[in-house]
Amino acid sequence: MVSPFWDRAFRLFAWGCSLVLMGTFLIIIGFLCIKGYTALNLRLIFGDTGFWDAVVLRRQVFDGLFPAMAGTLCLILLSVVLAVPLGLSTGIFLAEYASPRVKWFFSFVFDILAGIPSIVVGLFGFSITLFLHQSFFDRLYPCLLISALSLAFLVLPYMIRTTQMALESLPASLRLTAPSLGATQLQSIVYVLLPAALSTILSGIILSIGRCAEDTAVIMLTGAVATAGIPRSVFSSFEALPFYIYYISSQYADHSELINGYGACLVLIFICMNLFVLSHFLKKRLSQKLLFRH
Amino acid sequence: MQPKIKIAGLDFYYNGRPVLENICMEAFENTITAVTGPSGQGKSSLLIAVNRLWESIEGARVKGDIQIRFGQTFQNIYDPGFRVPELRKKVGMVFQMPNPLPMSIYKNIVFPLKLTGGHKKKDAAFRVETALKRSFLWEEVKDRLNEDARSLSGGQQQRLCIARALILNPEVLLLDEPTASLDDTSGRMIESLLLEVKKSCTLLLVSHYLDQVKRIADKGMRLSRGQITQAW
Amino acid sequence: MGMKDFFLKSLFLGACLLSAGIALGILGFMVVLAYPLFAQGLFWDMLITPWSPGQGLFGVGPMITGTLCIASLAVGVSVPISFGVACFVGILHPGGKGRILKFVVEAMTSVPTVIYGFVGIFLMVPLVRELFSGGSGMCILSAGMMLGLLISPTMILFFAQSFTLVPQNHLDAADALGANTVQKFFYIVLPCAWKSMVTGLVLSFGRAMGDTLIALMIGGNAAAFPESVLDPARTLTAHIALIIAADFDSIEFKTLFVCGISLYAMTGIGVVLARGLGQRGRA
Repeated sequence: MVSPFWDRAFRLFAWGCSLVLMGTFLIIIGFLCIKGYTALNLRLIFGDTGFWDAVVLRRQVFDGLFPAMAGTLCLILLSVVLAVPLGLSTGIFLAEYASPRVKWFFSFVFDILAGIPSIVVGLFGFSITLFLHQSFFDRLYPCLLISALSLAFLVLPYMIRTTQMALESLPASLRLTAPSLGATQLQSIVYVLLPAALSTILSGIILSIGRCAEDTAVIMLTGAVATAGIPRSVFSSFEALPFYIYYISSQYADHSELINGYGACLVLIFICMNLFVLSHFLKKRLSQKLLFRH
Repeated sequence: MQPKIKIAGLDFYYNGRPVLENICMEAFENTITAVTGPSGQGKSSLLIAVNRLWESIEGARVKGDIQIRFGQTFQNIYDPGFRVPELRKKVGMVFQMPNPLPMSIYKNIVFPLKLTGGHKKKDAAFRVETALKRSFLWEEVKDRLNEDARSLSGGQQQRLCIARALILNPEVLLLDEPTASLDDTSGRMIESLLLEVKKSCTLLLVSHYLDQVKRIADKGMRLSRGQITQAW
Repeated sequence: MGMKDFFLKSLFLGACLLSAGIALGILGFMVVLAYPLFAQGLFWDMLITPWSPGQGLFGVGPMITGTLCIASLAVGVSVPISFGVACFVGILHPGGKGRILKFVVEAMTSVPTVIYGFVGIFLMVPLVRELFSGGSGMCILSAGMMLGLLISPTMILFFAQSFTLVPQNHLDAADALGANTVQKFFYIVLPCAWKSMVTGLVLSFGRAMGDTLIALMIGGNAAAFPESVLDPARTLTAHIALIIAADFDSIEFKTLFVCGISLYAMTGIGVVLARGLGQRGRA
């Protein structure tokens, strides 16, 4: 039996670890806040250009984060449009149509996909661009489309896994209800199962959005640059917030640029936290809905 | 009395283990045929063999012949060309635990109509009302059809499920211990509504309440270890 | 099955095959592009020779070593801390305090790596430089510790989830025999959960090996075999980021595919190990 000494030691250890973790995290956030709070104003985002001029794209923003934020936004939209339908369909197939052996095999493949480092996905995207450039499309360079495609590959396993898990964890009685009323498998999926799993799937989409917003390794190989303005088309290079932060960390010209870097960190953290909170509350809403009994 | 359902040589395996062996029986039109016996002996499996719901359950396997008379002729529901969704529109099912879908009362009842498509809104409202009246639920919910079905009491939910199963006017209704999760009063209400329903339908009722069976069943049989041991 | 049903089922199947194709295609593409190296029999040598383009040596041995060192340090730092926090959150204080901490840990998982890298450069590196006077501060130690912080939240959540895998009736039986929380943990929960925990460890190791930015920003990027934790090192991932600007027909560029294949193989082995432990990894 565990003696009181070990009991106390164990508890102390757990408390200690928690304090170390929390402390480190607070130090990091605190450090960023202290160094960056002076940068937190509209100038950080819009530079010398006025708010409205920038937002309606009348004038270019040179010194601010706006192009990077716009770039990140376009990236997210494009990646999500590519990854969500594919991931959703695959997840539906695995959860509803695949036999156990088929399911095992594909799950293994997608686990591998999920484990591939982001830089390798970026390398793949870059190499594809190279290959296409040399063979068919000599006007194709790393661009928004390639980055979005590569990011879609990155978040695809999350979408698949979330959809599959959301559908598989629906109560067994719900699965039999629609078929017992004469629904075909497709009708059961579309009218009953997907609506019931929607909140979880949505939170998975939000997670994927977060992943796209924060990734740097993929985009630095496939089209992100330091200065490009608002992306003109899907075939142009673009700026992105995380890349800006990376770039500034080694290429800052003076103190104020560094301060802007800290400010950018705070903005990025803010965006990611909001996405996280949204995803968290969506998941909570689902568990409340499922537990709703009279 | 004409036979409605003819079952011959039915075997049911679950994960390789035999659950039903060589079941042969007949159910007659407009009667309540009861299936009784101790738990876990295959009563529910017999029901899901009749509407082929076992095909949605992993590990279940069925062999045998089930013929149901639709109109004048018997059709073997295990014929290769037989369309299963069509079968389930003529053979309804009510489960032991009420399973309202996560939607409003109205949408629950109208759901089978939505699956078949091609119904008009006015027509639907009338059919919903009829179905709810048949299951003795109309008076209690007519003013709150848009409320979530899960806000109803257990007995009401079960009557909702019965109404939902009745809206397509099935010729056969399968009931798997429909009153097991309810109190006495709700149970009795359902028993009286089943007596009304049988006038236009053939009922197959699984129940382990012997007094319930005595009250409402016309014919019955006892299943023990996957075989019929008694029939009356 | 109706036409619409069949069509949509085929569509879903097609999506599945496409997704799987992408996973395998990534590997295939890199193998094809590195083919000249296989053909010349150079591939396996490259994994151990040093990197010295001036002398015509294009081995990625130092990078493999760098990756393994930094990842090992990260996991080594992270495991005890994650274990401690997971115990706090899952076992000792599952109620109020633990729930708040768990929420914070979940929030931490959403912090991007570039932020850790940035703070690493301006906070940790000077600190390491001070404490271990000598060197630039950009070394395995800095990178390993920052990376450990990065992977900890996921590991904590994985461990905490492992603790819930024990069947409730085991716990009830222990309660009935008068065991207290800590005793229950060591005698009942841990034996049940350790396999799942090792899975989490393996997956976190894979994640640590695959991270680019922390190693790139605070690891030092020296392409030589490191000799101590205070030496700078370059990882496979950082190497890819650095060399991508080279001429595509050069051998240097081809080494990127060697890196890519190595990384793919290393994380792939991790996945196989995790599956072999009988648990599906859900990081």
